[in-house]
Amino acid sequence: MKELLNFFIEIGKLKKIPRTGWLLIGVKNPETIAAHTFHETIMAWILGKEKRRNFNIERILKIALIHDLCELYAGDMTPYDEILPKNKKEWPELFDKWPRFSKIKKRKITKEKHKKEWQSLVKLTAKLSPKLRKEIRSLWLDYEMGLTKEGRFVKQAGRLTTLLQALEYGKESKGRPYKSWWTGSEEIIDDPLLLKLMKAMEKKFYPIEKLKKRN
Amino acid sequence: MTKEKKFYLTKEGLERIKRECKDLRDLKFFKTKGEMPKIWHSEDLNPEYLSFQEDLSFLETRIAELEYIFKNAELIKVPPKEKQNIINLGAQVIVRVDDQTDEFEIVGTLEANPAIGKISNESPVGKILLGHKVGDEVIVSSPIMTTYKIKKIKYNIS
Repeated sequence: MKELLNFFIEIGKLKKIPRTGWLLIGVKNPETIAAHTFHETIMAWILGKEKRRNFNIERILKIALIHDLCELYAGDMTPYDEILPKNKKEWPELFDKWPRFSKIKKRKITKEKHKKEWQSLVKLTAKLSPKLRKEIRSLWLDYEMGLTKEGRFVKQAGRLTTLLQALEYGKESKGRPYKSWWTGSEEIIDDPLLLKLMKAMEKKFYPIEKLKKRN
Repeated sequence: MTKEKKFYLTKEGLERIKRECKDLRDLKFFKTKGEMPKIWHSEDLNPEYLSFQEDLSFLETRIAELEYIFKNAELIKVPPKEKQNIINLGAQVIVRVDDQTDEFEIVGTLEANPAIGKISNESPVGKILLGHKVGDEVIVSSPIMTTYKIKKIKYNIS
């Protein structure tokens, strides 16, 4: 029980760690990693319940709940980490564009991120029982590598949770539209139901009047 | 009757599915016999198979899923030379977008991994690039209106 208690104390710290992307665009009191997990889990559960999808809902919930535990020691890495200018005032501008890298660079960034996060998860789960340790690590690998339809679905739901939050921050601050999250999502999302949700977001956050005004 | 979904896979992707299916069938055989070979106990060697070691029903579900994929798989083939100037599944594409250069490979949903540039043909960007040629500019019709200018198309002939 002592080891489980320590584990619960450790993961509780995610309730206080802000997500990096929001810090970079200058959001005050941004959502934490745990708050993002809460949002993503509910979204994945409700959308994943659709009967004809035949998803294993328990697996969806578990993957959504554990997918960001790795960020406890690895931190919340973003694609922007590579290109951050020294001057912090220039950071929000970066989010007008989705960052682009060569194929080799993309593989390098992805490999390093995966390695760092895996090491963090291994450290966090090291003292758990072998059965629980294996379960958490395999669920995480599923999310990371898209091994099952549930893993692939939760990853895309996570992306939309982030897009929704970005749109809400954009609305609250009446600031930049943060194009990058939208552009990135158009290259990432391919699940038909999640594409419908993206369409609904488009209607809510970019009503026709707003688009006409812009054009 | 509902239309069966087709899974477009590269040769490597199809091989991977075949291999995983065989490995998991072996694992099920050993599990039900109660004789697990040592190799399956190594967490480092087979990280992606970890969950199947504990959970027989999940193992069976995964085997059924792989068999379904295999049954409905369609191999992505390199198009004939005269059509290699057009983006199709399997194409490697260099684009200019937002004054930056990017490289994509258009793949089926199972092999998509946008973090390394593998874009699903069912994603808005993957879908809109299909059928276009070098020099074309395609705009994803969303509030953001991102323009992709196609600079180069190639197919890896294996």
